Amino acid sequence: MSTRADQLHALDDVSGHRESLWSKAVYKFRRDRAGMWSLAVVLVYMVVAIGVIFGWWATSWAELEGGKWEAPSADHWFGTNIIGQDIFDRAIYSTRTSFEVGLVVAVLATALGGVLGALAGFFSGSWIDELIIWIMGVLDSIPFILFVAAIAYSLGDTPYAMHIAMIATFWITAGRLIRGEVIKLRGQEYVEAAHAIGVPEVVIIFRHILPNTSHILLVQATITFVAAIKSEVILSFLGIGVKEGMSWGLMIAESTREVLAGFFNNFLAASALLFGLVMAFNMFSDALQDALDPRTVAGE
Amino acid sequence: MNRLVSLRAVCALLLFGAALLVGCGSDGRQDAADPGLRVYRHSTNGVPTSLDPVQSATAYTNMIVINVYDTLYAYKYLARPFELKTNLAAAMPEISADGLTYTVRLKPGVYFIDDPVFPDGKGREVVAEDVVYSIKRHFDPAMRPQGAWLWQGKVAGLDEWKDAGSDYEQDIEGLRALDRYTLQIKLVRPYPQLPFTLAQGYSAVVPREAVEKYGRDLALRPIGSGPFRLVSFDKTRVVMEPNQNWRWQPVDIYAEGYDEETQGFSGVAAIHGQTPPFVDRFEIDFIQDSAAMWNSFTKGNEVQITGLPVELADSVLASKRPVTLREDLAEKYHITSEIETGFVYQGINMDFPEFGYHPDPAQEKRNHALRCAMIKAFDWNARNESFYFGLGVIFPGAIPPVVPEFDPELSRDSVTRDVSGARRLLAENGWTPENLPELLYGTGSGVVYRQFFEQARAWLVEIGWPREKIILKQFATFGDLNRQWRESRLPYIGLGWGLDYPDAQNTLQLFYGPYRAPGSNLTNYNNPEYNALYEQAAVMQPSPERTEIYRRMNRILIGDCVTIIGLSRTRIPIWHREVVMHPAGGMVGGFQYPFIALSDGAGGIRQAARSAGIP
Repeated sequence: MSTRADQLHALDDVSGHRESLWSKAVYKFRRDRAGMWSLAVVLVYMVVAIGVIFGWWATSWAELEGGKWEAPSADHWFGTNIIGQDIFDRAIYSTRTSFEVGLVVAVLATALGGVLGALAGFFSGSWIDELIIWIMGVLDSIPFILFVAAIAYSLGDTPYAMHIAMIATFWITAGRLIRGEVIKLRGQEYVEAAHAIGVPEVVIIFRHILPNTSHILLVQATITFVAAIKSEVILSFLGIGVKEGMSWGLMIAESTREVLAGFFNNFLAASALLFGLVMAFNMFSDALQDALDPRTVAGE
Repeated sequence: MNRLVSLRAVCALLLFGAALLVGCGSDGRQDAADPGLRVYRHSTNGVPTSLDPVQSATAYTNMIVINVYDTLYAYKYLARPFELKTNLAAAMPEISADGLTYTVRLKPGVYFIDDPVFPDGKGREVVAEDVVYSIKRHFDPAMRPQGAWLWQGKVAGLDEWKDAGSDYEQDIEGLRALDRYTLQIKLVRPYPQLPFTLAQGYSAVVPREAVEKYGRDLALRPIGSGPFRLVSFDKTRVVMEPNQNWRWQPVDIYAEGYDEETQGFSGVAAIHGQTPPFVDRFEIDFIQDSAAMWNSFTKGNEVQITGLPVELADSVLASKRPVTLREDLAEKYHITSEIETGFVYQGINMDFPEFGYHPDPAQEKRNHALRCAMIKAFDWNARNESFYFGLGVIFPGAIPPVVPEFDPELSRDSVTRDVSGARRLLAENGWTPENLPELLYGTGSGVVYRQFFEQARAWLVEIGWPREKIILKQFATFGDLNRQWRESRLPYIGLGWGLDYPDAQNTLQLFYGPYRAPGSNLTNYNNPEYNALYEQAAVMQPSPERTEIYRRMNRILIGDCVTIIGLSRTRIPIWHREVVMHPAGGMVGGFQYPFIALSDGAGGIRQAARSAGIP
C-alpha cells in the first residue's frame, strides 16, 4: 500500500528531477478533496463579488422595489426589508464588501507583519527587535474589538477607518510567525554566504530570507482574510463598520428589530452567506496550510 | 431501603427546588422585604440625565422632576385637549388688563421633604421667594441651565440681572415675591403662554439651601415638595415613594377632564372620590431595547405598562383602526392610542448656498425649486408605514393636529408625493444630475437612522439625484449630531419636536428668524414677513385673529419650501388590566403618576398599604 510520501517520491523519480516545495504543495492540495471543494466555493463567491464590482448584478440593492417585509417571491427571492429593499440583492452586494475588506486587510496586514517580523527576527536581540516586540505586546494586551472600535471611532469619517483598524491589529500574528521563521533562517548557510560576500542586510532580508517565508505568509493571509470578514460584520453590526454600501453585518443589525416581528429573512440571508464564505475559506485555509507545511512537504 | 431513602431525598430536593422556583416567580410587584406594599412599575426607553429642574430638558427628566418637585401649575390628568389646573398655585394667575403683570398666589402650608439641609432635618414651608429663586437659577450660567429660553427677553429685568453677574441678593423688577405667598411677574411684552411655562419641570420649585449645600449633587438628590420623594436613581431605574406629607385630596375625575366614552374602558373611574396615594412604591425601569422591554412587560410580574414596539404591531394587534388587541391578549391587557404632542420633520438649512439663500436672485429661485422638488420626492405615507405602524397623522405645515390652531382645510399638496412634478420642477429650473449639489445627510448612529437615510436617498434618486451625491454621515451620539446642527454645519436636518405647551406658537417659533441656530430655528429660515407676523401674534391672547395669523405664517412656510413636514406619531401604550390608569404622554407626561392605582379585581382599587395604615 503506497503512502502519499511514496507517491511524491515516485513523482520525483518519474520527472527525473526534484520538485519544488510549491509544485509539491499544489499536487498535495489538488488531492485534498475538501480543500478543492472549499476553493470552488470561494471562487464562486469571488465571481459574485467581481460581478457586483462590474455592475453585472445586485445593482438595485439600494432601491425601494417592494412593500414592507414582503415574503419571498419570484421578484424578491429573499423577500424585502422594512423599507421595501430586495434582501437578495443586498446580500449579494454585501459579498463585494466582504471580499473588498478581506482582501485589502489580508494583503496589507500580512505584508506589514512580514516586513516588521522579518526585521525583528533578523535583528533579534537588538533594540529594533525589542521595539517591535514591545509594540506587538502592547497591541496584543488590548481586547481586540475594543481596540478596533477605538481606532474606528477616532478616525471617524475616514472611509477606510475600519480597514486601518483591522490592519493595525492583524499584522501582529503574521509578525510573530515571520520573526520566528527568520530567526531560524538567518543561521542558514546561504545567509551566511551572502553576509560573507558583502550583500547589504536589507537585500539579505527582503531578497533572500523573506521569500523563503512566503508559505507562512500565504497561509496567514487566508486566515487574516477570514478574520477580517468576521470583524467587518461585527463592526458593521455595532455601527462602526461600513460607512457606504451594504454589508452582512448591517443586514444582521437591521434584523434585530425584525426578528421580534417574526421576520427572519434579513438575518437568514446574511448569516447563510457569511457562514458559507467563512466556512469555505476556513477549510481552504486549512487545506493550504497542510499543503504548504514544510514538515510534510519538504520531508517527503 | 437505601434506594427508598435516596428516592425520598431526590423528591424532597425536587420539591424544594420547585418551591424556590415558585418563590422566584411570585408577584414581583410586592416588595420582597415588605410583601404588603403596593408596587407599580413601568418602563421608558430613555434615561434621565439629571433630576435638577434647571436641566430637565428631556421628557424622561421632566416626568420625574414634576413628581419630586412642585410646579405652580399642572396639566389635568384626563382632559383632552390639554388643560392647565392649579398645583402649588392657589388659583390661576391674575393678569393685568395690559397683559403684562401676572400675580400668582401660592397655597400656604406646603412643605419641602425632610432633609438634613433644613433646621432639625424637617422640611420648611415653600414660599414665593423659592419660586423667584428657582426661575433666577435659569439665568445663572453656573447652574448650567437649559430652560432660560422660556423667559428670555420676556420678564422685565431678568436678562439684565444675568448680565450683571447673577447676584441672587439683587432684586429683579419683573420677578418678585410680594409677600410670603404672592408672586408677581412683570413682562416686557405680553406673553400669553407664560402659565404653560409654569407647568414645566424647568419651573419646579427648589429650596435655595439645598442648591447651596448639594450643588451639582442636586442632579441625583432632589429636595422638593412634590407628590413623591426619591428613593434611588441610577442608570437602570428610578424608585420613588409617595410623599406622605403632600396635599393629597380625594380625586374628582370629572374635574380632571374624564370622558366616559373614550376613557371609560380603562376603569379609571374607580379612583373617583378616593384619596391617593394608591401605591407605596413607584418604579421606572429604563429599558432601551424594545425586545427586552416587551419581555419584561409580558413576563407578568415586572413592568406593567409599556409602549408597543412598532415591529410587534402585526402580531399583537387585531386591528389598527381602531387599535385593538388580539383576543387572548385583550384578556390581560388594556391598550389605547394617542397622537403625540409634537411631530417629526426634515429641514433644509438655508445657510447653505447650494440649497438655501443665495446672493444671486436667479440662483435663489433655482434653489427654491430644488427644495420644492425635495419635498415632492418625500413619501410620508411610506415613512409612516415603515416606521410608525401606519398610524401616524400626516399634516401639511408646522401646525400639528394636537393644537387648536390646526387647519384641517389646508391643502395637502406639500405632503403628497409627486415624483413627476419634482422631476419637471428640476428640469424647468436647469437642474441636471451633473449640477445637482452634494447632499450631506447627517444622522444618528443607530440602524433605524441608517434606514431613514436609505429610504430618503432612494426617493431622491428617483427624481434624478445621483446616488453618489447623497452622502451619509453618522454621528456616534445625538449630542454630536445636535452640535453640528446648532453650529449650522449640516445642510439637512431630520428630527422631532415635542410641544412645550398646546399652542402653535411653540412650533412656529421653529422657523422664526431671530431664533436661528444655535437657537431652535435649525433651518436658519429668515423671512421678514414671517418674522413680523410671529412678533405680532406672540403678544396676542388666543383668538380667531391670532389663529388666522398662525395659519398665514404656515402657508408662507409651505410656499418657501423650507421644511419637509410633518408627521405626528401615534403612541400605543399597553398596560396590565390590574393597573387602574389612563396613559398620558406629551405635556401631561408625569402629572398622572399620583393617580395611578392597582385594581382589587372587583372593579375597585386597592389602597396603598402605608396610607391605609397596613403595617
